[in-house]
Amino acid sequence: MHRRTDARGFVLAAALLVAGAPALHAQTATGLAASARGWAIRNVTIVPVTGPRIERGTVVIRNGKIEAVGANAAPQPGDSVLDGSGLFVYPGMIDAGTRLGLSEINSVPGGEDLQELGEFNPQDAALIAVNPNSTPIPVTRSNGVTTAITSPRGGLVSGQAALLDLLGWTPQEMAVRAPAAMVMTYPSTGGGGRFRRARQAPGDQTNRQVLALKAFLGDAKAYADIKARLAAGAPGSQKTDLGMEAMVPVMRGDEPVIFDVETAQQIRGVLALADSFGLKVILRGAHEAWQLADTLAARHIPVIVGPTTTGVAPDDPYDEIYANPGVLAKAGVTIAFQTNDAHSSRDLPYNAALAEAYGLPADDALKALTINAAQIFGVADRLGSIEPGKEATLIVTDGDPLDARYGPKYVFIRGELVPFNDRHTVLYEEFRARPKP
Amino acid sequence: MKTCQLRDAKLRGVVAALISVVAATSLAAQSPAPFTMPVPPAAHLVAITNATILTVSHGTIPHGTIVIREGKIAAVGADVAVPAGAQVIDATGRYVMPGIIDEHSHSAVEVVNEITNAITPEVRMADVVKQDMPTIYWQLAGGVTMIHVLHGSANAIGGQNTLLKLRWGLPVDSLFFEGAPPSIKFALGENPKESNFQTFAGHPRYPQTRMGVEEVIRDAFTRAVAYRTEWQQYEAARRALRRGQAEPIPPRRDLQLDALVEIMDGRRLVNAHSYRADEILMLLRVAHDFGFRVASLEHGLEGYKVADEIAAAGTAVSTFSDMWGYKLEAYDAIPQNAALLTQHGVVVAINSDDDERARRLYQDAAKTMHFGGASETDALKMITLNPARILGIENRVGSIDVGKDADLAIFSGHPFAPASRVEMTLVDGRVFFDRTTAPTLEHEMQQLQEQRQHRGPAAAGRGAQ
Repeated sequence: MHRRTDARGFVLAAALLVAGAPALHAQTATGLAASARGWAIRNVTIVPVTGPRIERGTVVIRNGKIEAVGANAAPQPGDSVLDGSGLFVYPGMIDAGTRLGLSEINSVPGGEDLQELGEFNPQDAALIAVNPNSTPIPVTRSNGVTTAITSPRGGLVSGQAALLDLLGWTPQEMAVRAPAAMVMTYPSTGGGGRFRRARQAPGDQTNRQVLALKAFLGDAKAYADIKARLAAGAPGSQKTDLGMEAMVPVMRGDEPVIFDVETAQQIRGVLALADSFGLKVILRGAHEAWQLADTLAARHIPVIVGPTTTGVAPDDPYDEIYANPGVLAKAGVTIAFQTNDAHSSRDLPYNAALAEAYGLPADDALKALTINAAQIFGVADRLGSIEPGKEATLIVTDGDPLDARYGPKYVFIRGELVPFNDRHTVLYEEFRARPKP
Repeated sequence: MKTCQLRDAKLRGVVAALISVVAATSLAAQSPAPFTMPVPPAAHLVAITNATILTVSHGTIPHGTIVIREGKIAAVGADVAVPAGAQVIDATGRYVMPGIIDEHSHSAVEVVNEITNAITPEVRMADVVKQDMPTIYWQLAGGVTMIHVLHGSANAIGGQNTLLKLRWGLPVDSLFFEGAPPSIKFALGENPKESNFQTFAGHPRYPQTRMGVEEVIRDAFTRAVAYRTEWQQYEAARRALRRGQAEPIPPRRDLQLDALVEIMDGRRLVNAHSYRADEILMLLRVAHDFGFRVASLEHGLEGYKVADEIAAAGTAVSTFSDMWGYKLEAYDAIPQNAALLTQHGVVVAINSDDDERARRLYQDAAKTMHFGGASETDALKMITLNPARILGIENRVGSIDVGKDADLAIFSGHPFAPASRVEMTLVDGRVFFDRTTAPTLEHEMQQLQEQRQHRGPAAAGRGAQ
C-alpha cells in the first residue's frame, strides 16, 4: 500500500523543512520520545556504503530499525514523511577513538575523568564515568557522528573502552557495546621516523616498561588459566582481583585490545605480544603502520588511524600522517578513524577528507567512517550501513559528509529524530536573534 | 591540563618560553639537523595556464592564465597570451587561489612569550625569527605563503609582532615583509591572568583577574599619555629655543611607552587576544578612551555575542573555525562565529595559531559555509584578502589581481573539496613547494623498495618483519 503522505506527517515534515526544526529545540537532552509511528525519507539519494547508491529512493524507519530501503520502499499510513529532495542518506559516522563523556572543559579538572593514576588499570571502565549530559555529545552528533568509542587514557593499561550511541538518558542506554575493548599503550622509545632512528636502541625506561607489560600479561594469563581450571572442577581457589577479572575476556581472545602506538617499532612489539599471549589486537594512531601494511593485512589486524590533524616529526615525510591511511587501505588493511578528542570529534569526517586528498579512495574513506568501525567492534550486524534490519542510526545531509562545506540536515539515532539542541546551535540561534544595541 | 597546553598554542608558547629560559642549550642540542630543499631560482617571467582561477576579488575564471613578471602578477584572465620565453606551469584541471595568509601564527621563531612582566611592549618577535624550521616548508605544502608571527598571550600588553613571507631556504633577512604597518599583541582573559598555569615567574604576578587586566592596560596608556606630553613639551621647547638659552633636557626614553605612543598615534596596529564578550567590550572602551582603534580581536570566540559593537568600532576578528572547550573561556565558542560576524559587516579571518592547523586552513575556511552559511567567496576571503586587510597590506597581497605579489597556491581540485591537496605554492612567483619534488611518503616508500632490491631478499627490510 502506498500513500503519498499522512496529514500529520506532512505537517511535521513541512515544519521541519521550513525552519530547521525549531519546535524540536525545546526538547530535552535526548531525542523525541520513541514513537510507534515510523519515518519515511523520500526522494533521497541513498548511500548504503555496503551496496551501490540508490537515486531518488526511500528509507523507511520503524521501531528504531531500518525497515525498508530502495526505490520501491513504501511507508505505512501514519508515518511521518521527510522530503529528501536534493539530500543524501548516509549511515551515522563512527569515531573509533574519543574522550566523549569523559571531558567537559580540558582546563577544568572537575569535568575530566580520563586518566587514573598508575600504569595498570584494566578494572577501570569508561562507561562508569560517562556523563550523558556532557556538552560535547550533542555538538558531535549534530555534525553526523552518531556513535563513538570513548576511551580512558594514560598508563600502559588504561582501562576499558565503551562504544556509545551519542543519545540516551543514561550511560547504559547509550552503550552499544561495553566493554568494547581494553585500551593499552605499547611503550615508546620516542623513536620512529626515518632510517637512522629506526635502529635507535630503546632506553632503559622503555625496556623496563615492556618487561612490566609482559609480566602483567603473564599474570593475567595465569589468572585466566586458573579461573578456567577451577571452573572445570579442579580443586583449589583463587582470590578475586578486579583488574585480573577484567583481563579474563581479553586473555581468552573474546575482547580485543586497542593498542595506542605511533611507530613501526611499537607495532612490531605489539605483534610479538599478540603472538605470545593470543591477543586480539586493534592498532590505534599508528602513523608508521604503512611500513607494515602487508603484514597487518595478512594478519587481519585492523588499524584505527588518526587524528590526521597531528603534527609532523622533523624527519618524517611531510604528508605521512595524511597518506598512511591510503597505503593501508590499498594493502587490504581494515581501517577506521579516530579524533582522540571530545570537542573536535565532530571533525571526524574532515580527518578522513585529509586522507582522501592524499590517496585514500573516497569509497574506502566512507567505509572507514562507518561499516569498518562497526566491524572492528563486532557490531556490523547493527550499525555502519543503510540496510533493512539495521538500527536506524543515519544522517540526512546536503552533500558528501567529508566535504566541510556540507553537513547533516537531520540526524537519526536508533530511529529517533535527534533535535539540533547542542550548545552551539542554541547559542547561535540566541545571539543571531539579538536586537541591534 | 596537559591537553589544554597541547591544544592551546599560547599556553604551549608559554611552556616553550619557560623551557627556553630554563634550558635553552639543551633544547638546541635536541633539535634535528636543519631540513633543507633547493632554493628555487628567481621568477623573471612565469605563466600559469589552463587553470581555474579563484581570484577572490573578482570571481572565478575557468581556463585562465596568470602571467608573472619579476614576482608580480602582470596579467590574469581568460584571454591572456603567454609571453615568449615564459616558464610555463600547466595547471590543467587545477585550481589556483591566492596564497593563504595565516594572520595568527607562532611559527618560525625560537620563543613566543616574554612572560615575566604584565606588559612587555618593548620586545620584538623580529629578533627571534628562525628561518630554517621545517614547519615553514610544511606550511608551504598547505598553501600558506605568509604568516603574521605574534607574540604570545601571557601579558596584557605583549610584544611587537612580525610579518613573514615563507621564502623557505633564503637567509633570515629575506623573510620579512617590508612596508607593512607594525603591529603589537594584547591579551585578555585567562592567559594574562595566569588561570591555567601558575606562577611561571616563580610567584603569582599581577593581574590575576579581568579587573586587573583592564587596569594594567589603562595604567600603561595613562603613563603613555603623560610620556607623549613630556615629549611634546620638549619638542615645543626646542622649537622655541633662542640663542643663548640653555638646551632643554629631553625626557628619558622609555621603549615600552614608545610603542604605546605609536598605537595612540595610529602608527602601530593592535591585535588583541580575547575570548569573552565582556572583555572584548572592555578593550573597545579603553581603546576609545585613548583614541585608538583595535585592528583585530585575535580569536574573539565570543565575538558573535557583540557583533554590532565590534562592527561599530571598525575592528576585525581573526578567529578559529571551530576550536572550543579547551578552557572555560572557550566554552561558548561556536563554529558559526565567523559567518555571523561577517553578516554583521565585520572583517573576519580564519587563523591557525598552530603549526599543524596552519597546514589545513583551507579546510577550516570551508567549514564556515556549513556552519553559519558563509558564501564561498567570503570563506575564501577569510584566509586571503581579509587577513591582508587586517594587516594593512591588501594592496600588495590577498587576491589574484594585476600588480599584486605572485603569492599563489595551486590545488589539485577546488580547495574546499575533500579530495583536493596543494600541488604547488609560489611566493613572488618562485616555486617554493612542488609536490612532484617534495619528500612525500610515496617517495620514501620508493626509496625503501629500492634499498630492499639492492640488499636482496635475505636482508629484506622493515616491512617484511
